[in-house]
Amino acid sequence: MALTSPPQTRSPFSVWQALVQRPELLTLTLVLLLALVIGLINPVFFTPQSLFDLLRASTVTGIFALGVLLVLAAGGIDVSFTAIAAFCLYTTTLLVLNVAPDAPFALPLLISIGFGLLLGLLNGLIVHRFRAPSLIVTIGTQYMIRGFLLAFIGTKHIMNIPEGMDRFGRWSLFQFTTAEGARASLPVAFLLLVAVALLTWWILSRTLLGRAIYAVGGSVPIAERLGIPVRSVYLFVFGYAGLLAGLGGLVHASLNQLANPFDLVGTELDVIAAVVLGGARVTGGTGTVIGTLLGVVLVVMINNSLILIGVPSTWQKVVIGAIILLASGVFSRRKLA
Amino acid sequence: MTASPQNDHQPLKPGTEFLRLEGITKAFGGVKALQGVSLSVRAGEIYHLLGENGSGKSTLIKIISGAQPPDGGTLYVRGVPYSRLTALQSLEVGIETVYQDLSLFPNLSVAENVALSAQLVQQGGRLARPLNWKALRQTAEAALRRVGLRDDSVFLETPVADLPIAVRQLVAIARGIATKATLVIMDEPTAALTQKEVENLIGIVSDLRKDGVSVLFVSHKLDEVFSIGGNLLILRDGQKVAEGELKDYTKSQVAYLMTGKALDQTRYRSSAPQKEGLLEVRELGRKGGFEGVSFALQKGEVLGITGLLDSGRNELALALAGVRPAERGEIRLEGRSIQIKNPSDALRLGLAYVPEDRLTEGLFLQKPIRENIMVSILDELLRGYQLDFAASNEKAWEMVKNLHIATPNVMIPVQSLSGGNQQRVMVARWLATEPKVLILNGPTMGVDVGSKDALYRIIQNLSSQGLGVIIVGDDLPELLQNCDRILVMRRGRLAREFMVPDLSEETLTKELLSETSTL
Repeated sequence: MALTSPPQTRSPFSVWQALVQRPELLTLTLVLLLALVIGLINPVFFTPQSLFDLLRASTVTGIFALGVLLVLAAGGIDVSFTAIAAFCLYTTTLLVLNVAPDAPFALPLLISIGFGLLLGLLNGLIVHRFRAPSLIVTIGTQYMIRGFLLAFIGTKHIMNIPEGMDRFGRWSLFQFTTAEGARASLPVAFLLLVAVALLTWWILSRTLLGRAIYAVGGSVPIAERLGIPVRSVYLFVFGYAGLLAGLGGLVHASLNQLANPFDLVGTELDVIAAVVLGGARVTGGTGTVIGTLLGVVLVVMINNSLILIGVPSTWQKVVIGAIILLASGVFSRRKLA
Repeated sequence: MTASPQNDHQPLKPGTEFLRLEGITKAFGGVKALQGVSLSVRAGEIYHLLGENGSGKSTLIKIISGAQPPDGGTLYVRGVPYSRLTALQSLEVGIETVYQDLSLFPNLSVAENVALSAQLVQQGGRLARPLNWKALRQTAEAALRRVGLRDDSVFLETPVADLPIAVRQLVAIARGIATKATLVIMDEPTAALTQKEVENLIGIVSDLRKDGVSVLFVSHKLDEVFSIGGNLLILRDGQKVAEGELKDYTKSQVAYLMTGKALDQTRYRSSAPQKEGLLEVRELGRKGGFEGVSFALQKGEVLGITGLLDSGRNELALALAGVRPAERGEIRLEGRSIQIKNPSDALRLGLAYVPEDRLTEGLFLQKPIRENIMVSILDELLRGYQLDFAASNEKAWEMVKNLHIATPNVMIPVQSLSGGNQQRVMVARWLATEPKVLILNGPTMGVDVGSKDALYRIIQNLSSQGLGVIIVGDDLPELLQNCDRILVMRRGRLAREFMVPDLSEETLTKELLSETSTL
């Protein structure tokens, strides 16, 4: 009877089916495969040192990616977060140096995420108020924020960052010296990524807000009909992405011991690629925290570790491109309504 | 329903007034959609809101469900006046709407679709609240059981995008009854349902009534309206023209009130088939669809093919159209054996197919009428490497005139036409190819009485000129009014053939639902 007939299901143990329903399994497989290949060719990859390098390099990309995940899940896209991050890291550094150069890390941290939140909310307001495509809006704000930074705030690199940032950047969670005498360390900043990941997971899967984000990503008109406050959702996801851009930017500057106003802009596609490789759809309504983190590891591994097996950096782009094409082929098998 | 979240209103005694509208007006850019509509909805009663496309029904529903504000007038809920309701307020006071387009989130699971809005309403629309997965599941399970769907966790976690349309319809209804609503509005809830599912729905509605819930149906199917019973509200041109008990009206009175003109409710079939064979199908089969199907169609004949949703009728129609070609058997057209391997074969040979769902399968909604019509005859309109736009204008105008499509010009986008006119644009496109056989699948789904009348006259006129017409569908009055013969399909095979003039709807319904083959 059609009334009670089950939805069309294929064989429950099919690998294909599992991939279609849990796209992050593909990401995990690719991460493991790539790690295996790199490690077999160059065993250096399997040392704690290169693991720490990988996690260190994933920290900032991961923080950015989790913000982008929320925007994508709500059906939008944000390409302005790198400009926001550069703005926040540079302006905050300059401000703190001039006002309270000895302040603890908490001060620049709060200032930077405050700037980020405001700029993100601006994105959300424009997207909602003018019902404008978020791609265009954030391309616009990316240029404006970056132009404003370079024109009015400054263009000089700042090498002597404030005391608090400097100490935070050098603060290690683990650290030891290898047999060859090299120092390996995992910065405390990595814990910020862990905290942000937990928070984002909690928002997405344990709150009404999380379901509302996916619902708005599924269909805005339907969400409106069901009384979901779409404006709040837009303000939240863009505000959150801006806040995380501020956080990621500051962490970036602290880890590199350098505030560079020309930094980060241009890497936004790497981050978006990581989120999409983690199973989020550009068209909205899907995406998980664990998938996003795996996508970040995959992209960072391609960018940082392929060099270990002698793949020239120009070819890394080809690899990322090929993997995106492969993943999109698999993910497109997921049915669209 | 122990754990399902509720709005905390006391249930109303049956018969007390729940909702009253007074002098509701609404205009869209100078067009008056509603001109002072007043009506009253009492608890525990069934209402049918009837009206042609464009009568203001959808606008009225949107105002009640809070999707749009009225320009003037007042809504009273339990005696409390509102100048407008927001979507959230409407849900909070206990009004649930099952939209015609179902309004389900394709990316969310069945459980989330059914029960998420219940929690949101319970929290007054505030998002910074924990999500109670357990309550969500329990609400969803209870509602799914009531509409006769599965309530196991595999089904609860299935994304709605993976469900067939009939199941989605039931999921949408489950959402409508998941909370203890006081009024459930159902906008054409039976469009995608089989007869059995419709009967089940009628059972659900009478249960709701017993709980003091009112149900407001929006429907085009007069037969269904009369078999459900209750009260009647008729809109015409944005004004209420009738309000009362259904038993005080006859079908033709209702049709008259809806259209403002007397419609021929009996048989449209006017001419007789010619003695000349046109299409012959022998032992046609396709795995998983239909097997051993043989029939013939004369020139000028109107043949009906019906059956339940899973009987193979759609698959047969799609095979003749070349969309999903037959794998076995033979098709002969005017005595010659032909191969239909894809839609363009079918078109070239003279078989035109008008699909069921004009919105998703047929029309380019944002494109003008002219483009929608000329797309089927681009080859003919080609002069060298350029399209002859003068000729396409001419052709489009000819079709607009022949099919009585109400439009000031052929360049307006199809989406701004009413449903009936959209349907005629679709028919026009295929008629432009000058076919020998016209296959119509559910030609009047979601189309009002007046437009049905117009389309039936067009079908009869075409058949009298020698066109062979096949109508596929389960609108039995439609088949009885238009066809010479009706074939009933069951489990992929032809089960029975009826000559129409001496056939009653009862006999046909019985045959449709019977389990054994008699042919």
